[in-house]
Amino acid sequence: MLLQILVNGILMGGLYALMAIGMSLIWGVMNIINIAHGSFIMLGAFTTYWLFAILGMDPFVSLAFSIALLFALGYGVQRYLINYVIRASAFITLILAFGIEIFINNAALVSWTADIRKVQVAYGAANFSLGNYVTIPTIRVVAFLLVIVISIAFFYILNRTNLGRSIRATSQDLDAARLVGVDVAKTYAITFGLGVGAAGAAGTLWSILFPISPIMGGELTLKSFVVVIIGGLGSMLGPIIGGLALGITEAFGTNWFGSTYGNLISFTILVLVLIIRPKGILGGAD
Amino acid sequence: MIIMKRLLKNFFYGFLTIGLVLSFGHFAQAASKSVIKLGCAISFTGGESRTGKLYRDSYDMAVEQINKNGGVKVGNQTYQLKIVYYDDESDPTKSSKFVEKLIAEDKVNFLLGPYSSGITIPDSLVAQRYKVPMIEGGGASGKIFSRGNKYIFGTLPPAGQYFKSTLEMLKTFNPVPKTIAILYSDDKFDISVAEGTEKLAKEMGFDVALYEKYAERATDFSSILTKIKALNTDVVLVAGHTEESLNFTQQAKELNVNPKLISMTVGPSEADFRKSLGKDAEYIFGVASWSTQMNFKGYLFKDTQEFVKEFKAKYNYDPDYHNASGIADVAVFKDAIERAGSLNKEKVRAAIASTKLDTIYGTVEFSENGQIKGTSVALQILGGEIYQVYPNGAKKPVYPFPSWKTRK
Repeated sequence: MLLQILVNGILMGGLYALMAIGMSLIWGVMNIINIAHGSFIMLGAFTTYWLFAILGMDPFVSLAFSIALLFALGYGVQRYLINYVIRASAFITLILAFGIEIFINNAALVSWTADIRKVQVAYGAANFSLGNYVTIPTIRVVAFLLVIVISIAFFYILNRTNLGRSIRATSQDLDAARLVGVDVAKTYAITFGLGVGAAGAAGTLWSILFPISPIMGGELTLKSFVVVIIGGLGSMLGPIIGGLALGITEAFGTNWFGSTYGNLISFTILVLVLIIRPKGILGGAD
Repeated sequence: MIIMKRLLKNFFYGFLTIGLVLSFGHFAQAASKSVIKLGCAISFTGGESRTGKLYRDSYDMAVEQINKNGGVKVGNQTYQLKIVYYDDESDPTKSSKFVEKLIAEDKVNFLLGPYSSGITIPDSLVAQRYKVPMIEGGGASGKIFSRGNKYIFGTLPPAGQYFKSTLEMLKTFNPVPKTIAILYSDDKFDISVAEGTEKLAKEMGFDVALYEKYAERATDFSSILTKIKALNTDVVLVAGHTEESLNFTQQAKELNVNPKLISMTVGPSEADFRKSLGKDAEYIFGVASWSTQMNFKGYLFKDTQEFVKEFKAKYNYDPDYHNASGIADVAVFKDAIERAGSLNKEKVRAAIASTKLDTIYGTVEFSENGQIKGTSVALQILGGEIYQVYPNGAKKPVYPFPSWKTRK
């Protein structure tokens, strides 16, 4: 049973990491706390749902669509909304992101109603067993692999490509970046697009595992936020460490103290991390 | 900030003017065409909005039916019914404020209830304070009815009794299951269900092996399911909400947890639940104070079957017990007002208390505390449809469940 709890925790951690990785990228590079992150995850989930419901498209095919669509949306939102206030204090971008969240959620509520929907695929609850002790849900393993792929992709983009160099340059020294000819607005927009695209991927996986509704975003933002803080900013490993730490502690915590205390446990970890290692477990840059 | 303030101020005056103009229009209309106003603060948005809509649809349909067939007769005069709605955003504080507004500003005659016990409690206290009778179809927690509040009447049966028919059904199985896991969401209604069920189960000689509360709107049940698997309980009873029931069922399959029976308070009776889970919903039990397979002589409609047909034609979904309860609420108002022969709130309150009315929901009779007398039935999903299986079901219950792996 302990082994099963550990596996539950690790796999939940993978899902948390997948949710948080986009938020971590945007926060780390642009210093924007994207409160609307959960709403973008919701949009990713609904992209998959509608492609599935109308065209019968398999969620793993529509994964590409929800990433692409959310990337475009993220690019647009940054370029034509957030870009105008990016020079202002962090507080203003926070409020703008909050406004975007309210807008997205309510637009979704109006157009799709508050109905709870489910992507009903045959393999949604597929699993395999290791011996007689541990049952492993397949889709959660896939989510875990996906977050590793995405974080490697982000790592590669940030460290090995020209785009990545521009992104890092703008986050390190804006004026210098501009002097050497980096198109700052475009770089920011691409970064934001990448982060939101990752949210789209998380949404697709989420929609296979859980029922979805337009108001699901708020809690996901909160969880992502905790994961990012726990893991620490500035590294692609951060969200994975944060996600795993949260997933495993929650799994054991709810087992010992009871299921009502899930949120209490996550926020206790958050507070502990903030006290002991204010820059996150990995202790990245501020 | 200053601009914001000014903008808000302008909006405020704008709305005030519009509101005033509208309400004058309102009064003019009320005078020419006698109207009884029912006030209702209910969830159009937020977490309870799905079920809130079920009640709104029913309230609207019942009112339409009454108005079509001659309205409400008080003495020699006939009145049309009209519902004044506010969206409480699934927030108990907002809901009770809107109820206050309905009474003080909209001057409604009587009140219809919101959905969910947690919201009904504060709303019922406002009704009591202003001495305006409220009939509600969406709150069953004992906490609503244990306060000596004379102005609240509820048409959902007592929460603690919800699983009674299910437990009785367990006794008819061979072999009789021994161990039970009771899981419940951390909200007032589900706590009442769980407390009542635990007591009943112990009295009936079952072993309650797991009794665990989970956070409202929980998405991940892997830790509870792992416990159930380790304890290997025969029966799992879940008192929660649709979304939780969906998650619980899918994750039971994900983690290959196979109790002999799973029953859930909310979910199985809703068409959405079965559509969302498809084949995985098969064999899940539910409880309800009402099902579409029952047949009662109606008050507003000819009988239950006739109501089900008309309802489906109008709203394009199957009504469940929430809908039926909502219809009964409005029916009780019409009957009580006509028997009272007056719109006086005290007289109508007394008339409601002495109600004995045949409706498509069954016979409505209230206990001393204002809650309906009656119990609930056990349902099971068989072949994609929900059937009443105990007592006197249309079909025999399937027990035990085939395990997930052996299902086609």
